[in-house]
Amino acid sequence: MTARHVGPLLEIKGIKTHFFTQDGVVKAVDDVTFEIGHGQTLGVVGESGCGKSITSLSVMRLIERPGKIVAGEIRLNGENLLDKTDADMRDIRGDQVSMIFQEPMTSLNPVFTCGDQIAEAVQQHTAVSRREAMDRAVEMLRVVGIPDPKRRAAEHPHQLSGGMRQRVMIAMALSTDPDLLIADEPTTALDVTIQAQILEVMRDLREKNRMAIMLITHDLGVVAEMADEVVVMYAGKVVERADVRTVFGSPHHPYTQGLLLSIPRLDERRERLEVIKGTVPSPLNLPEGCLFKRRCPHRMRVCDTAPPYQEVGSGHFSRCWLTPAGEAPDVGADAEGEEAQHAAEQLTVGAR
Amino acid sequence: MVSDTTAAEIERRRAEEAEAESADIDRTPVRTYWQLVRQRFLQHRLAVIAVIVLVILASYAIIVPTVTGDAWRTTQLFRDDAPPEVFAEDGEFTFAILGYNEYGQNLFARLGKATQTSLTIGLAAVIIIVVIGVFVGSIAGYVGGWVDNVLMRFVDIMLSLPGLFIILMITAFFGQGNVWVVVFAIGLTGWTTAARLVRAEFLSLREVDYVQAARALGASPQRIMLRHMLPPAMAPIVVAATLGIADSVVVESALSFLGFGIGRDSASLGTMLQNARDYFFSGPLKVVYPGVILILIVLSASFLGDGLRDALDPRQRVEK
Amino acid sequence: MNDEGQTMTPTGATPGGDGVPQPGDEMSGGRTSAERAADRGGSAAAPLLEVDNLVKHFDIRGGLLGVSKLGAVRAVDGVSFSVTEGETLGLVGESGCGKTTLGKVILRLLPPTAGKVNFEGKSLFDLSSRELKAARRDIQVVFQDPYASLNPRMSVGEIVGEGLYVHGMTNKKERESAVRDLLKRVGLNQAHIHRYPHEFSGGQRQRIGIARALALRPRFIVCDEPVSALDVSIQSQVLNLLSDLQDEFQLTYLFIAHNLAVVKHLSTRVGVMYLGKLVELSDADELYRSPAHPYTKALLSAIPVPDPTVRRERIVLKGDLPSPANPPSGCRFHTRCPMAQEICKVEEPPLRDVGGGHLSACHFAEEVTPLGSERTSAQSA
Repeated sequence: MTARHVGPLLEIKGIKTHFFTQDGVVKAVDDVTFEIGHGQTLGVVGESGCGKSITSLSVMRLIERPGKIVAGEIRLNGENLLDKTDADMRDIRGDQVSMIFQEPMTSLNPVFTCGDQIAEAVQQHTAVSRREAMDRAVEMLRVVGIPDPKRRAAEHPHQLSGGMRQRVMIAMALSTDPDLLIADEPTTALDVTIQAQILEVMRDLREKNRMAIMLITHDLGVVAEMADEVVVMYAGKVVERADVRTVFGSPHHPYTQGLLLSIPRLDERRERLEVIKGTVPSPLNLPEGCLFKRRCPHRMRVCDTAPPYQEVGSGHFSRCWLTPAGEAPDVGADAEGEEAQHAAEQLTVGAR
Repeated sequence: MVSDTTAAEIERRRAEEAEAESADIDRTPVRTYWQLVRQRFLQHRLAVIAVIVLVILASYAIIVPTVTGDAWRTTQLFRDDAPPEVFAEDGEFTFAILGYNEYGQNLFARLGKATQTSLTIGLAAVIIIVVIGVFVGSIAGYVGGWVDNVLMRFVDIMLSLPGLFIILMITAFFGQGNVWVVVFAIGLTGWTTAARLVRAEFLSLREVDYVQAARALGASPQRIMLRHMLPPAMAPIVVAATLGIADSVVVESALSFLGFGIGRDSASLGTMLQNARDYFFSGPLKVVYPGVILILIVLSASFLGDGLRDALDPRQRVEK
Repeated sequence: MNDEGQTMTPTGATPGGDGVPQPGDEMSGGRTSAERAADRGGSAAAPLLEVDNLVKHFDIRGGLLGVSKLGAVRAVDGVSFSVTEGETLGLVGESGCGKTTLGKVILRLLPPTAGKVNFEGKSLFDLSSRELKAARRDIQVVFQDPYASLNPRMSVGEIVGEGLYVHGMTNKKERESAVRDLLKRVGLNQAHIHRYPHEFSGGQRQRIGIARALALRPRFIVCDEPVSALDVSIQSQVLNLLSDLQDEFQLTYLFIAHNLAVVKHLSTRVGVMYLGKLVELSDADELYRSPAHPYTKALLSAIPVPDPTVRRERIVLKGDLPSPANPPSGCRFHTRCPMAQEICKVEEPPLRDVGGGHLSACHFAEEVTPLGSERTSAQSA
């Protein structure tokens, strides 16, 4: 954690977002807690279906039926967003919190010019004339590195390339100077060279505006480059959380370890990749106890009881039975029932 | 070459992977594509009701004319506009539960015959529409290029002609009153939409990976079309066909109403409506009966189409 | 290194993580046949597949009947390379560079505009339809999208067995036992032979696709982005499977992907494409160590390193990819190249050997410096 941490910008406390489908309740986000400080970048990592996108949509209060935020608090600058009216939320969205999505084409209106759309966003949140708003739009396009911004402002989204569109999205998201930018897989649909451009733009703007970023991605490389702190999610839960160096340097949770070992790296030649065996469990058929146990190389009997969310190092949390040194817990590898539950409660400290 | 230890190692690892992967699948029962289709269809309540209605109408159209024989056209002057009855005074079983019309024809029997005629025309015309439409559309879509262009411009020309006018011309020219002439007239003018649908499906399916994979395996064009392209293309066709039944029944009724369809010696919903027109105020029920049947057919067909569209779409999830 | 007995024995990294990695083995272990092939070089041994000046243009047509030609998208524009038996040739490039089109032309799924592709010396474009069908047994494909690549209306058994059926194995029992064997080999449960694709996860579907490609015992497989649609933890499973199968069946791969790290992991040699042209072709490690084309270098530098303590030199390319319908004059990369000179706008650089079989299409290939990177430990990135 960094020194700037005075009172966190965004505090998410134990939110649960469940989807009530006809097949049963899907606990897409299940008791997720983390915070983001002013000007900080938090990387939220996980595979598809881990709940990282639903977490971000929950912050924006954009969960639609059959989904519902059933518990928890989402505090932005100390105010609980879950208590806000829909009208208040509309003001907050785009003003204090902005969001950019993976596929910019679907989030831009094809019938308006890019300039119009940014200007509209500006006018919605600040009392300026159309003209001033348009000037601001052109200025924002310049800031995100679009050459010839005046001409581009008069163009429609389909006239732009994918990378350009994503820049327009970022320009729109930043036009109101938000405190927090939620970026949901902002570069996944882009080529690497374009991704590099976009990440550069985001890094630049983060410095200039002292803006916090919640960066949701499956790409560990992007996280390593961008994030200060990292949250690893698996099957709706946070399984590990620490600053970026700790997560990449000495991960504690077997899932995080597995993920890091399974990616092919440019700078080394590996004969075989390590793999995490099996697949993500179906959200309708989650295992008892630890959600990762079926795929875990360290599986013990005690894993049938929900593991503690323990602090394994300073500011380093992990939802696993293993001790910080990676050994079986004090209660014993075969502990069961109440004994194990009690041990889990004892070990879970400070996290909530 | 792979040494023995490696082979054993690989074998063990594969088995382990297979075991790790199969847990989630094994809990669900094996369900074929068609079982899923059935399940999805049964979830569509309106479509299920539509099927029941159509089955009742079809049984009515088959059973009543068979049981009552010629009653639908036997004119009995002494029974004009007679009230409903089940047995005549002489004890004969007449089954005239809707009474008689101005010619003393058994309305219930006549309505049965009319339903039969209309449904027959609807089904037969749709078969022609689907056969021609699938043939033209699949060739245009699969072959592409100039063949596609020529066929589709022809379709455009067909579409630009006023359909009902063409049908009227055909029936007037080839013998008014013949059921099959009406069927062909509707069929020959109606296939263009189906052809367009099939072509569009084939054009997009041609690029789909599993079709490409089948080509890479060396499957013949016939096999690719029949096995990989037609089944997914059938979903919109089936929907179009069910709607086509409704359309054809309405067109036939319109034709008959205008006097160009089924002659007076037969009965269809259209002729019954036309006959009843003169008695709209004195005997409104004569309009209501064929009208209700017509509406039931049209509505059921379109609900059935809706249900089939959802059921045939493999992207739709099955809910319990 | 060319010892017949030295096979890939993946004792180190087993899924359970219970093995002991062998750090000393990094460079020499495994892929022996591939490395042997690489040693011989592309031209010395008779290559399995030769692509000679292949061109594929997509005409942009218009007019009343859509037959008048308005222009052409030059998806593949004069690409030559060869693939030696047993090796994996990786092909990287960004979207629109023509790599997928190239694969489809080799597979004869798209007709070529010009050029030649020889398989074992025989031109694939001069085959009768019967010969083509026979050739298809040898050349198979694995697609990217595990959802679109399997017919949702067919069971796993029908999908995997289709090739066998098409090529004459009409006996149902025989086919089923062959399919069961294939399922076992790709790590699927044989009991699932009657299941339908929608019941499987993405990784499992990809395994089904691989089994289908293997059914005809091909010698050459075009893998078109086989893992890019999969989750990270599943990607590595499929990559391991592909490399195991390569040893098991002596397969030769053309591995097409946009992820350079994935390509490098699996490939013996790597080709880099840009706007329909092959701009660099070299041994995989060599390509990473000392790229000889500024585009390759930029591509390498753009890949984020999954290690916050490493800072790599970053070359951010200006602008977007030009349209392949209207590519720049001279060197196609000159509009974005940080090293561009006057000559690059005029003269198209040929693909030439810059030493040791390392091919590059750059006028200044010798001046491209290796990518710098440093390990920081003091301050966070």
